[in-house]
Amino acid sequence: MKCEEARDTLPLLLYGELSFEDEERLETHIDECAGCREALGREQALFHSLDAVQAIPSQQFLENCRAELRGRVAHVESEQVSFWHKLRGGFSVHFHFPPGWMQLGGAVAMLVLGYFAAQWTPLSNLRPGHSEASLQPVTSRVRYVEPVASGRVQIVVDETRQRVMSGNLDDQSIQRLLLAAAKDPSDPGLRVESVDLLKNRPESAEIRSALLYALQHDPNAGVRLKALDGLKEFANDPDTRKALAQVLLKDDNPGVRTQVIDLLIQHRTEAMVGVLQELMNKEDNDYIRMRCQKALNDMNASVETY
Amino acid sequence: MAQAAVKMDEAELIRAAQKGDQRAFEQLVRLYDQNVLRLAFNLLRSPEDANDIYQEAFLRVYKNLHTFRFDCSFHTWLYRIVTNLCLDALRKRRVRREQNTVIETGEGVLDRMDAVEEERAHGDPQRQLLSRQLRGRIEQVLKELTPRERTVFELRHYQGLRLRNIGELLGTSEEAAKNCLFRATQKMRAALGDFV
Repeated sequence: MKCEEARDTLPLLLYGELSFEDEERLETHIDECAGCREALGREQALFHSLDAVQAIPSQQFLENCRAELRGRVAHVESEQVSFWHKLRGGFSVHFHFPPGWMQLGGAVAMLVLGYFAAQWTPLSNLRPGHSEASLQPVTSRVRYVEPVASGRVQIVVDETRQRVMSGNLDDQSIQRLLLAAAKDPSDPGLRVESVDLLKNRPESAEIRSALLYALQHDPNAGVRLKALDGLKEFANDPDTRKALAQVLLKDDNPGVRTQVIDLLIQHRTEAMVGVLQELMNKEDNDYIRMRCQKALNDMNASVETY
Repeated sequence: MAQAAVKMDEAELIRAAQKGDQRAFEQLVRLYDQNVLRLAFNLLRSPEDANDIYQEAFLRVYKNLHTFRFDCSFHTWLYRIVTNLCLDALRKRRVRREQNTVIETGEGVLDRMDAVEEERAHGDPQRQLLSRQLRGRIEQVLKELTPRERTVFELRHYQGLRLRNIGELLGTSEEAAKNCLFRATQKMRAALGDFV
């Protein structure tokens, strides 16, 4: 092996990236060549110098990145829910099925209806204007099914026609509808969008109360985060603080808890000490624990309860 | 054996996260995020850019995890995303001016990296021994490497990945990765030879 080739290969030797044969050849050459031994020493010194300029992010920086990611993931989650809601909203006809045995009854009724309709209903029996009527936005529900004479079936259907309403957020009727939609247990997407609109009017006591309710009770983290967003301006209000403390101790979503602790510790009060100490006993999220510990230290309170 | 157990845990986490388990996703992130942040931070030498890469990489993982079919290791899949993002960021920087980490403030000169760097790095005796001049020179040489050379060097020197893995991540051969590393180390030796 020549010196030039040996010196070019030195980094690969230090990285352990040479084949067995090449490593053998190089080491044999280094044993016999003082110049290349010296070059290896310089290469090692260069490697150590490079190690020393490695930038290692601090734990605090990492925790901040994690907290931001949690918030972003929760946002993506709520957007996905919202997307499905919008997709479904594109259809003009909605069917809201009741739970339990009524679903079965409804399904049987629809089958029977379909069968008889296909077999025996002549086209001439269709009422004029039927096709136009079917294009109207209607929410239908089979309320009652009964076999009648001659193998026919009688079905009672509840129909709700859709109506488009529009108005300003300050309009009382719009607010009432949004408040109702914000509690619709069947549709998280509708709740996300309703709370997202309502959070722009937190000065209304009724809306604030709805936001507090959503923050404490909504099963969807996306809805809870939207509600929290609307309550930020009221982080000093006693009712809001009480709700925030409860959420901090009970919410199972670390993204929500992260946002709550950041909000809660902006205004430090003596009443918070017990909550934060309780949190230290049960919290397993490093970032939240760190924020909590810092707040307790800043208030000269002990981190643990005895 | 222990490694097999870890891998099994990881596969379980991935499957749970694919089914929408948020806690499993968070645990999966925690398995890798420290190294991902270190890679981006060290490559881009900017806390803001490193955070952007971190967020974008894990959001892509979150949105596309359902497409992960265990054809390669999760590590390879994730690092492919991260290195591609870093390469794009480095290439964009070549177009505009490289951002300087040291800025002048009313209170004197401030290195924005210091605020987010591990304290033990500052307390490292080896680091303290290294003259400020040499550190500055090394950082300058790193900036002068091409995005590909810099990425390969970073993955090999600081992340400890094998050249074969690096080739796989960058969609190239082990030989091409080796050539890239060779050029990077040659440039550094040429620029720093007098200092060390």
